[in-house]
Amino acid sequence: MHELLLFASVPAHQHHELLQQLAGLTAMQPRHRLERRLIFKAYRKPGLINTRVGASQDLQGNEMQRLNKMLNGGMFYTQVVGPLDESDFGLSSSPSAGDPDDAAMSGTDEIPTNRPAYSYENQPWKLEFRDIPEAGTRSAVTARLMASSSLPKGDISTPMTAWGYSFVSEYVVEGDIFVLNDIVIFLHRVLHYPTEPQSHEPRRELPPLSDMTLLERSGSYVLQASITVQDGGNQEMMKTASQHLFGLREQLKSAVRLEQADRLSLDTRAK
Amino acid sequence: MSTPTKDQIKALEQSRQRLVQLTHSLASLIGSLNQSDPLPSWPSLQSQATILSNNLLSISEHLSENQPLLSSLVAYPGPDFPGRTQAPTLEQLLRTKLDPRVEDWVARGRRRAVPDTNTNSNDNGNNDGNENDNDHDLSEHDLAELWHWAPVEANREARQRDWGGDYTLEEREGGVANVVTGLRRVLDDGEDDMGSTSGSSEGEGNEGQGEEEEMEVVGVRMRPGAGLLPVVVGLSLILLLGARMVMAPVVPLEGILRFMTTGAQPSQR
Repeated sequence: MHELLLFASVPAHQHHELLQQLAGLTAMQPRHRLERRLIFKAYRKPGLINTRVGASQDLQGNEMQRLNKMLNGGMFYTQVVGPLDESDFGLSSSPSAGDPDDAAMSGTDEIPTNRPAYSYENQPWKLEFRDIPEAGTRSAVTARLMASSSLPKGDISTPMTAWGYSFVSEYVVEGDIFVLNDIVIFLHRVLHYPTEPQSHEPRRELPPLSDMTLLERSGSYVLQASITVQDGGNQEMMKTASQHLFGLREQLKSAVRLEQADRLSLDTRAK
Repeated sequence: MSTPTKDQIKALEQSRQRLVQLTHSLASLIGSLNQSDPLPSWPSLQSQATILSNNLLSISEHLSENQPLLSSLVAYPGPDFPGRTQAPTLEQLLRTKLDPRVEDWVARGRRRAVPDTNTNSNDNGNNDGNENDNDHDLSEHDLAELWHWAPVEANREARQRDWGGDYTLEEREGGVANVVTGLRRVLDDGEDDMGSTSGSSEGEGNEGQGEEEEMEVVGVRMRPGAGLLPVVVGLSLILLLGARMVMAPVVPLEGILRFMTTGAQPSQR
């Protein structure tokens, strides 16, 4: 699948107005969205690198080269995204709260009035792969290859490690989603966790939402307009999609300036 | 009187070619002005104007170079000229006076050119710094005065505005709820009742790309009848740009996107 994107930076003071403008434009109320995003980085497993310097007598040179390329080339950052709810924040997950049946069975004297705690074990995950945006496209939109797939719930770092990814960091994205025809408009900003993680893996508890700090201290938002094209090889479809994005850019021209993003800032290749 | 030499004919031929070029570029400019809707973009108009002025320049150079030849040449019909059938052409060729319309243009041009050449000779001759009081140009004194006045005035005008939002102070004071707003106004700044004057400022904004377009976001609105000079509009746009830069996000968009993709901490500006 391919993804066509336009971005805009939205100063904090403009956020409220823009929300209303977008609500009017798309004729829908904003869908509030909270996501925790984990960044994983592919790494070379030690032992797989098999460079043979000056091994000119190696008969399988070509084959080895190709194998090495497959194993060592194309190391990418990948994101694992999990949807959150506001009620997930600020509650430590007690280890026994994993099974809600227990509480129900234990009788009526102890009604589980406590809100559902955030449970890392039940956190659904989605793997989102994004390629580096295509270079040298003449149209003024960011186009990139993308793929996403569902992952098992719960602890994600073990399978990811097994697949050759190491955990880099995580953050929370807060924002609102609009849909206008085939365009998904996501007005969002990045929140940091107040404390550094103790261990080098995704945290199992979430701090209160109010404790989260802004990545961008002035509180500005990022407006992202995206269209997903199933068949990226179909030039006709890609063209239509970018035309739609340009149409949106034109419509929002008096409010924000949607632009192509700097290609290197979306570089997902791991060095 | 002798027949013209090869060189002289070449010079004549060259002037003809250059005049043809000039008429062509004039015709194309007129055509693009007449036909294209909306009007051609500024860059294309500019480039056409440049072509025209280059044409004019080369023609006037050429004419002044060959002035002795051209002023001494006389056209007369040969015996084999088909005078009966080509009478209008013959008349055109033998005419010594200019076309009345053209005469008017020339006279107007002469009149305009006279004061300029006068002041030039004045400045060259006696350097007493006596400024000309030409009504076409502002004198240096007037210009200085204008520049002194404009920033203050622009600042004053700018202070009356709330640059942060889409509403003006008047609108806010009158109650935001009373303002007929909604998406149409947001998408088209000229929709509201201040459209009559905001038109001029938007015209300013639409001319350039980049910064000015960004400024269009907020939209400079003036009171009806404020009657400000374009200079002031430009200056308030500059002030506005400054104001926006203060409010601009600390971390550039690239930094945020980079963090979102790789987790690299953006460098704080």
